Amino acid sequence: MSGVAVELAGVHKQYGGQLVLDGVDLTVPAGELLAVVGQSGQGKSVLLRQIVGLERVEAGTITVGGLPVQRYLAMPPEEKPFRIAMVFQNAALLASLTVGENVALRLEEHAVASRETIRATVARALEQVELAGSEDKMPGELSGGMRKRVAIARALAVDPELILYDEPTADLDPLLTEQIGALIARIRATRGSTQIVVTHNLALARAIADRIAVLASGRIVELLTPDALMASRHPLTREFLRASGMGM
Amino acid sequence: MAADAAAPRGVTGRTGAAILGVLQVLGEAALLFVATLRAIRFAAPDRRRLVVQLVRLGNDTLGIAAILSLFVGMVLVVQAADQLREVSQSVLGPLVGLSMTKEMGPVMMGFLLSGRAGSAMAAELGSMAVYDEISALRTMDIDPVRFLVVPRFLAASLALPILVLYADFVGIAGGALIVGADPAVSISVEEYVTRMLEWVHLGDILVGLVKGVAFGMVASIVPCTFGLRTRGGAEGIATATTAAVVWSFVLILVLDFIIVRLSFGLA
Repeated sequence: MSGVAVELAGVHKQYGGQLVLDGVDLTVPAGELLAVVGQSGQGKSVLLRQIVGLERVEAGTITVGGLPVQRYLAMPPEEKPFRIAMVFQNAALLASLTVGENVALRLEEHAVASRETIRATVARALEQVELAGSEDKMPGELSGGMRKRVAIARALAVDPELILYDEPTADLDPLLTEQIGALIARIRATRGSTQIVVTHNLALARAIADRIAVLASGRIVELLTPDALMASRHPLTREFLRASGMGM
Repeated sequence: MAADAAAPRGVTGRTGAAILGVLQVLGEAALLFVATLRAIRFAAPDRRRLVVQLVRLGNDTLGIAAILSLFVGMVLVVQAADQLREVSQSVLGPLVGLSMTKEMGPVMMGFLLSGRAGSAMAAELGSMAVYDEISALRTMDIDPVRFLVVPRFLAASLALPILVLYADFVGIAGGALIVGADPAVSISVEEYVTRMLEWVHLGDILVGLVKGVAFGMVASIVPCTFGLRTRGGAEGIATATTAAVVWSFVLILVLDFIIVRLSFGLA
C-alpha cells in the first residue's frame, strides 16, 4: 500500500468575519510525513478539517489523490479509490462502545469483511499500537495516552492511504509524547501512508517529520526540512522557535 | 465587542431575532425528521442499537411511569368525587377512563419521556458533538443520522404508545383503589369499572395511541436536533439539554391540540 498526494491551493476560511486561513498553498507528496506547526489559534486544526471534509472549503481547492475533496466525499464508501482516516485531538472514541468495537466500527458499518476477518484486523491494529488484548475495555477505563493509541488503531484498521493527526500528543506527558511520536514514525516506515501531523510541539515535529510547514497569520510561511527550519531567518518562524524554547 | 455589535437592538430587533431563532430550530428539526425517515427507508436499522434504546426508553421508564400514573388516577378520583358529591359520582369511571386514555396518559408519558430520556439523548449527542465523536463518525463515512438518530427515533415511537397503554391501565387502577378505599366516594368499584367500559371506546384508546406515536417522534427528534447542534463545551451541553426538554414539552402540547382538533373534526 502507498500514500496519496494532497494539494491545497488558495484555501480560505473565515469564522464570524475573522479570516483564519488566508490563501493556504501546500503540496504534500504521496508517502510524506508532514508536520504542520504553529501557535494555538492559527488554524492548524481547521486546515485538517477542510482536508477531511468536515468543513466546507469557502475558497480555493483541495485535491487528495488527484480528486477534488468534494468529489471524493460525494462518492459512496465502497467506490472510494482510497481511504482517509483522522485521529482527533481528544481521540473521539465512542464512549458507549468497547475498544474493539471502536476500532472495528468503520469495517462493520460498511460490511467490508467477515466477522472473523474484522476481528483479526482489530487485533492486528491494536497490536501495532501495543494494546493487544484490550478489545473488551471501555474507553473510560483507559488513560489519555491509551485512548490516543486506540484512536490510531482505529485509523490503521482501514489501511488508509492518508492519515491526519490533530494534536496527537496534546495533554500527554513527555514519555507518552515520545511513544506516540515513535508510533507515527513506525507507521510511515511500515505502511507508506501519507501522514499530516498538526502539532504545536516542535520537538515532536523535528523528531518524526520529513518536512515541517509553519502556519502563521493564516498562511504557510515556510515549508522546510527539520534541519533547515532551525536555521530559518523568517521572523514568524524565529518567533515560533523562540516561543518553543528552540531559538534565540 | 464584536458580539455586542452583532446583537440585535431594540424591541423589534430582539423580537425578530427570537422569531428567527424559533424558525431555525423548527426548520432543523423538520430537516432531521425527513433525514431520519429517509435513513429508515434506505437502510434497515441496527437491531442491537434499537434494542438498547428500547430498554433505555421503555423498560427503564416503567417504574416512574407507574408511580406517576397511579397518583394521577388517584388524584383525579379524589378531586372529581368532591366536585360530584352533590350531583352523581357514577360518572367517575368514564371521567377517569376518558381522561387517562385520551389526554393524561399520552401527555404525561410524553412529558416523562422528554424529561427523562429526551434530556439524556440531548446530553449524550451534545457531548458527542462537542468532543468530536460525531465528526469522527463522518470521517468514517458513517451517517450520524442513521447511526445515532434512527435507533432513538424508532425506540421512542415504539415505546411511547406502549407506555401510554400502561399508564392508562395503572391510572385507572389507581382511581379504582380510591373508589374502593375512600369513604367520601359512594359508588362501588364494580360500578366505576362498568360505567367506564360503557363510555370508553376503542376509538378513544386509539386516539391516545396515535398521540403516543406522535409524541414519541417529538420526544426523540427535538432532543436529537439540539444534541447535534451543540457547540461550546459543558455549558453548551447544559443549554442544549434544557432547551431540548422545554421545546419538547411545548411541541407536545401544540401537537396535542392539533390531534384533538383533528380527531373532533373527523368525528
